[in-house]
Amino acid sequence: MSEAPIQFTPPKSHSVSQGTEMADKPDTPLRKMIQVEGLERRFPNPGDKGETQIFGDVSFTVAEGEFVCLIGHSGCGKTTLLNILAGLDGPSSGHVIVDGKEISGPSLDRAVVFQGHALMPWMSAMTNIAFAVESRWPNWSSADVRKHCQKYIDMVHLTGSEDKKPAQLSGGMKQRVGIARAFSIEPKILLMDEPFSALDALTRGSLQDELVTICKATNQTSFMITHDIDEAILLADRIVLMTNGPEARVCEIVENTLPKGRTRSDMHTHENYYPMRNHLIEFLVNRSKNFAAEISAADFDPRNPPIARPAAASGTSGEQSLPSNDASATQEKKAS
Amino acid sequence: MTTTNNFGLKAGLLSIVILLLFLFGWHMLVVAQQGPAAEGLDPEYAALLGKQATEGDSALPKPHEVGAELWQHISDPFYDAGPNDKGIGIQLAYSLFRVLTGFGLAALLAVPLGFLIGMSPVIYQALNPFIQLLKPVSPLAWMPLALYTIKDSSLSAIFVIFICSIWPMLINTAFGVANVRKEWLNVAKTLEVSPLRTAFRVILPAAAPTILTGMRISIGIAWLVIVAAEMLVGGTGIGYFVWNEWNNLSITGVVSAIVFIGLVGMFLDILLAHAAKLVAYAE
Amino acid sequence: MGALSNPFDPNEILWTGCPCGMHATMYEHQLAMSQSATGSRFYTSETTGAETVEQSVQQQQAAHSDMRDEPEIANTDPDVDWNDQEAVLARCVESAVMKGIFGTDMNRRKFLRGVGSATALAAVSQFVPLDALKAAIIDAKGPLEKTKLNVGFVPITCATPIIMAKPLGFYERYGLDVEVIKTAGWAVSRDKSLSGEYDAAHMLTPMPLAITVGAGSTSVPWTMPAVENINGQAITLANKHLDKQDPTKWKGFTFGVPFEYSMHNFLLRYYVAEAGLDPDKDIQIRVVPPPEMVANLSAGNLDGYLSPDPFNQRAVFDGVGFIYKLTKEIWDGHPCCAFAASQKFIDETPNTFLALFKSILDATAYSQDLSNRPEISEAISPKNYLNQPTTVVQQVLTGRFADGLGKVRNEPTRIDFDPFPYHSFSVWILSQMKRWGYIEGDINFKDISEQVYLATDAQAVMKEMGQTPPDITYKSHTIMGKTFDPAEPDAYIDSFAIKRT
Repeated sequence: MSEAPIQFTPPKSHSVSQGTEMADKPDTPLRKMIQVEGLERRFPNPGDKGETQIFGDVSFTVAEGEFVCLIGHSGCGKTTLLNILAGLDGPSSGHVIVDGKEISGPSLDRAVVFQGHALMPWMSAMTNIAFAVESRWPNWSSADVRKHCQKYIDMVHLTGSEDKKPAQLSGGMKQRVGIARAFSIEPKILLMDEPFSALDALTRGSLQDELVTICKATNQTSFMITHDIDEAILLADRIVLMTNGPEARVCEIVENTLPKGRTRSDMHTHENYYPMRNHLIEFLVNRSKNFAAEISAADFDPRNPPIARPAAASGTSGEQSLPSNDASATQEKKAS
Repeated sequence: MTTTNNFGLKAGLLSIVILLLFLFGWHMLVVAQQGPAAEGLDPEYAALLGKQATEGDSALPKPHEVGAELWQHISDPFYDAGPNDKGIGIQLAYSLFRVLTGFGLAALLAVPLGFLIGMSPVIYQALNPFIQLLKPVSPLAWMPLALYTIKDSSLSAIFVIFICSIWPMLINTAFGVANVRKEWLNVAKTLEVSPLRTAFRVILPAAAPTILTGMRISIGIAWLVIVAAEMLVGGTGIGYFVWNEWNNLSITGVVSAIVFIGLVGMFLDILLAHAAKLVAYAE
Repeated sequence: MGALSNPFDPNEILWTGCPCGMHATMYEHQLAMSQSATGSRFYTSETTGAETVEQSVQQQQAAHSDMRDEPEIANTDPDVDWNDQEAVLARCVESAVMKGIFGTDMNRRKFLRGVGSATALAAVSQFVPLDALKAAIIDAKGPLEKTKLNVGFVPITCATPIIMAKPLGFYERYGLDVEVIKTAGWAVSRDKSLSGEYDAAHMLTPMPLAITVGAGSTSVPWTMPAVENINGQAITLANKHLDKQDPTKWKGFTFGVPFEYSMHNFLLRYYVAEAGLDPDKDIQIRVVPPPEMVANLSAGNLDGYLSPDPFNQRAVFDGVGFIYKLTKEIWDGHPCCAFAASQKFIDETPNTFLALFKSILDATAYSQDLSNRPEISEAISPKNYLNQPTTVVQQVLTGRFADGLGKVRNEPTRIDFDPFPYHSFSVWILSQMKRWGYIEGDINFKDISEQVYLATDAQAVMKEMGQTPPDITYKSHTIMGKTFDPAEPDAYIDSFAIKRT
């Protein structure tokens, strides 16, 4: 035990307490934790008939402390993309640079919350987390490990269920253990693959709230895959939209125009909520399918996708004013 | 709660009824085989014959005769009257020792090798033809080879146990390891867990129920085979005991040996079933 | 020589090692002494120079009568009563003391010749407390290379000498701690002998020949120092064949024999061939473990068998068959089972082998006496040995038996015990192996027989033990009225109409 358990890092920037509405200017020169550059993944076709590109030219960044969601239909290679970020899969071409270094495999710096909870069924909740903690700090004494684990169990409100096996826990509780496990190693980046998709709506909601709280408290850099629009609006600072596969592309990056500190219970009352929501639905329902036409029409550079900021026309918070009933956001080329 | 009690009670009662019916049927069968007593025999001649010849007794014993024999064995299981005559307890201990030694050695080899095969498709492909070729060989077919090369009948018996125990454990271990859920391995990978630690903390516990199933099959086979092997090479053990009773044409002795073999086999199976429960997990 | 020779006899060699003290073993000594050793390979009579065995025996008796009056040595008679444990023990202690005093055998013999045995004993007794030593000798190790031996047997009455030597203490008398181990069958007995698990074993007389020539197994030089029993087998038929007591009616029968390389097989083949049946075509001969013969006969899988006892008598006892013909009625005095050991065992541990050989010869001689047979029956019937009803074993050994046809027969030589391994037995067996195609090509009958059957050695050892072995190792035999001349085996084979050559 060379190192004492690390306390929650105090928020370095734009915490809720000090944050004014829309304090996070997109242009704020924050450290880029993740840079995805021209990522492509191809899979061989069955029967030796060439290869299919799942996605290509995928480029985006995630800044330190930022929460980014990726939305797309199933089949667009979302999970593959996350696996590449986790280091479990390799790209066919392109680069993933994390904290300035190109990744070459899995790392304790990048914790993953899996779609299924991926808990070891033969281990108790505590042991599942301890397994991760022991991997991160192999020299800790078992008492230290236990203390550290307990902190995260308490954080996800599982106090009292430490010694239960996954089979004795409800779906939501299992995923809480999964989240606690991911946070317990205090990663630079948290990667989440539709973590709440298997849960019922009520459970999902409460878990989302908790995730918001924890991410805020720890200023956690996070990247999450989801197909739930409300989840994305609640959690994400920016939302990456991916078209349908094969040959999926990032079609647009949407900046969340709702203020920080939004909660599930009050966010729909904000004037920008519906513009955001409508913009995203429009994408999922129509644009994701017909994107090919859109590309040819516009001057589209897949490696430098346009940025959208859907907001109410009368709103003052958004830099872009949009008619509240206009679902299609104005697109603006981001000059980086 | 009462329903389960009732259920258990009913099943128990039914078992007893089946047993009684079986014993009654057995008794009647033996009585039916009773032939006519030989008549008009010279008394000196008759004295030189057994009851089968003089009174037409069946060669099969009646249930109570077997019961008496069983009781005799149970009441003095550990007597030792020379190298060729030992109590049933000693004979069973010899057999168990051979089975557990051969089985233990097989487990020591089969589990690590099964791991290797399960984790590496190349090694699986390379070893598969040998496994497929050797697996269906009757363990007793190895006996002459073992006797010639090992030059010790007791070790040969252990070798035969070893060779017959190895396949189910090897195949089940390989299967269990190959089918560990990918996401558990992914968890280990993202946590940068060393391969050795992954093997012990993730793959082994994940595959343990399958491995234990293999072990349960193996010990069942081993116990079947030891009886045959010991009948073949003699010396000691429950198989030798059966052979010795057979040599005396004592069906009573053979039947009591069958009861003991069954009981020990059941005990071994229960033991491994309990072990399997310890490593079982619900997903 | 040996632990039981009279140590006060100047003509005796006491040291099992070597009488001159120059050689580690008797074997080496004798190799050195008799460069032109002709007769025996491992054993030469201990009398050196001009002394003949007869002279030696005479002198021994003379010395013995000299000592008769001496009260102290009344129980040290050279013809120690084998059944008297105390006498045997006493002799052992005295021998040990003499060894201790004289260092080498030459010295002891010179001393005894000089002063006379009686004086010597009196003198020695004065300063060595012989009686106290006698109690301690039980743990003393003799000069045997090893004393713990494993001897295998198949549980049939043929093995009587090998088995009874254990409960009746014949092995102990020669300083051996022998475990007699029951063996499931002949093949196992052979394999365990080949593997060295058994030091020596009960085999069938053809087996050492088969092993030596490599028929049915790897070729390993094997020896047969002694025959165990003669006669003692029978052809048993199932009760349903009461009306077929004639071999010409046996076409299509299935017979069991205990092993391919067995007298049972060769005698059955001989018997049916004499009746005009081809044993390979007209009947079927199956190898069946003896205990399974009775069950197979009762189940109808076998019509009959030529098998060792007690399984013929057991068929009668259980009422499933009858004894059709004793093998003594086919060839009176035929050899059956053997005491066999590897050449390696003899070469590496000659003293141990000799002690074992002697105990077997002794046990065989004891078994020969009909009056001892009830006692032997009791001793070998329990579970540890034959595991058979005593009355069955007794019927076999005493020759007073129920034949399964309602009669009590009295055939005292139904089974008999004669250890002498005539070379001519071997030649006959080899002739039958050749006749039925078990071995092919030209065989040097004489060389193989003399290599495997230790008749010359048996002669020497038996004489030394005061037994009377025959002077010849070849003699002609009469089998079903036909004479076998061991000098002309090939002509003998040619004389048969039914054969495979």
